Amino acid sequence: MKYVAIIRQVPDGEAKLREEGGRIDLSGATMILDQMDEYAVEEAIQLKEQHGGEAVIVAFGPERTKEAIRTALAMGADRAVFVKHEGDADPVTEAKALAKVLAEEAPTAVFTGGQQADWDSYALGPAVAEALGWPVVAWTTAFELLGEDRAKAKHDLDEGAQVVEVALPAVFTTQQGLNEPRYPTLPGIMKAKKKEIKEIPAEELGVTGTKVEILGQTIVQIERKQKILDGTKEPEKAAEELIRLLHEEAKVI
Amino acid sequence: MVLVYIDHDGKKPKKGGLEAVTRARKIAAALGTPVAGLIVGSGLGEAAEEAKKYVDTLYVVDAPEFADYTAEKWTAAAFAAAEKAEARAVVASASRTGRTWTARLATRMDAGLLEDVLELEPSAEAVVAKRYTFLNRVLETQRAAYPVVVTTKPNAAPAAEPKGEGQVEALEVALGELEQKVKVLEKIQEEKKRVSLTEAPVVVTGGRGMGSAEAFRLVEELADLLGGAVGATRAVVDAGWRPYAEQVGQTGKTVQPNLYIALGVSGAVQHQAGMNKSKVVVAVNKDPDAPIFKESDYGIVGDVHQVLPAMIEAVKKLKD
Repeated sequence: MKYVAIIRQVPDGEAKLREEGGRIDLSGATMILDQMDEYAVEEAIQLKEQHGGEAVIVAFGPERTKEAIRTALAMGADRAVFVKHEGDADPVTEAKALAKVLAEEAPTAVFTGGQQADWDSYALGPAVAEALGWPVVAWTTAFELLGEDRAKAKHDLDEGAQVVEVALPAVFTTQQGLNEPRYPTLPGIMKAKKKEIKEIPAEELGVTGTKVEILGQTIVQIERKQKILDGTKEPEKAAEELIRLLHEEAKVI
Repeated sequence: MVLVYIDHDGKKPKKGGLEAVTRARKIAAALGTPVAGLIVGSGLGEAAEEAKKYVDTLYVVDAPEFADYTAEKWTAAAFAAAEKAEARAVVASASRTGRTWTARLATRMDAGLLEDVLELEPSAEAVVAKRYTFLNRVLETQRAAYPVVVTTKPNAAPAAEPKGEGQVEALEVALGELEQKVKVLEKIQEEKKRVSLTEAPVVVTGGRGMGSAEAFRLVEELADLLGGAVGATRAVVDAGWRPYAEQVGQTGKTVQPNLYIALGVSGAVQHQAGMNKSKVVVAVNKDPDAPIFKESDYGIVGDVHQVLPAMIEAVKKLKD
């Protein structure tokens, strides 16, 4: 049995973004394994620990993506396949390339984060599933393997949730609540250095361009008034003044 | 044609569905084509009667096997309707389910996918759209040539007005092997709130600083007084004090109310991603250096257990 986690490297949410010529410049930003993908990596590792087999990382992106791959390997995944691609991409284009890797890997189940923290996209998991002709379960909060070809999963809908039985192989998008991602340990980090990362240029998988062109990016910052009152000594007075401001100045109550 | 998926509650189109209609009409105008609608479900009589008022043609996929949502079935329905309509653009609301099946559809149609669109400018060749990226911190302009699949961010477009009586056409969608791979075993209903979190004009969110599940009684009281909904941070949900359905942030819901009140919330970026487009932000926190104050219009540095009851009293006084 083989469990795959698809990961991306994204800027740390706390990192300050820089804008350069109408585009976001990530060269100075701290880059991390997408936190939504951590749940995917953890699930693949747990399944391997419980049922045996292999936990494989599949990633797409520029050279620096290898740092995130090493993190996932340090958490306990066995090896990685890295589709190297410099420049813009979009989720559907990436999905079609990754589908070729996955068709060859023939995993039992594939996991990936429900949203990518750079694209703010929800498309990667469903698009990968479509490109492979496999089912997708989005926003999974519980996963149970029922055998080699079936799984039971709970996932969120627009309102409420659903419990489904899914024929495998299938793609599951992950989120908070599914598991508690582990931190890489020092021995884990040392071992990760020796684990295999198979590199494939994206062009070899038919990536020639992107379906969605980025025309411009601007950092948006809503200017906040930052009228901060001191309520440490006289909380009642501060509260009354706040409510007055919200009523008379901001006119929101 | 332009195809718009009209989300419904069994009786009438949902607000998100009508916002999608607004965007679909704009694209149709640029292409000089009519708008076709699609509704999917089981027992759609009433909902179809309402939905047809918004489009020129309404495709209705109404069958028992469409009683429960799966991404595969919805994709099959939308793909069948798109083929029938010879659609160059498909529009749907960016709900959780909408964001999922549209990604399948775009891949199947080999279309450009424009997600969570705030505004769009269509031409005869392409759609240029604005949307947030990088956890809502960047406004990005994207362009995709037809065919395109567009999801519209909730509350970004006005809901469409009815404009006549569209023609209704029943559409039979045969389920193949793929559509039968997911079986729904159980449906879990979300507790019905008086005001839905994503549509509430006021959201009052409690964070770790509230200290306990019991302390949320006062958060609820303030929310009720202001006609708002209760939100929670991830730490609060993790601690089991509040249900996941109330979580605001990257892994929870994105809200954009007129007034957002953050109580005992430090203001992690993941939380800000879910609320930083709110019109007015208010924070109460005992730590004057809490990042949330930098993202606030108004705030009080102080003990939330003293300030919150005082705020409730002040609001009551104002209402008298």
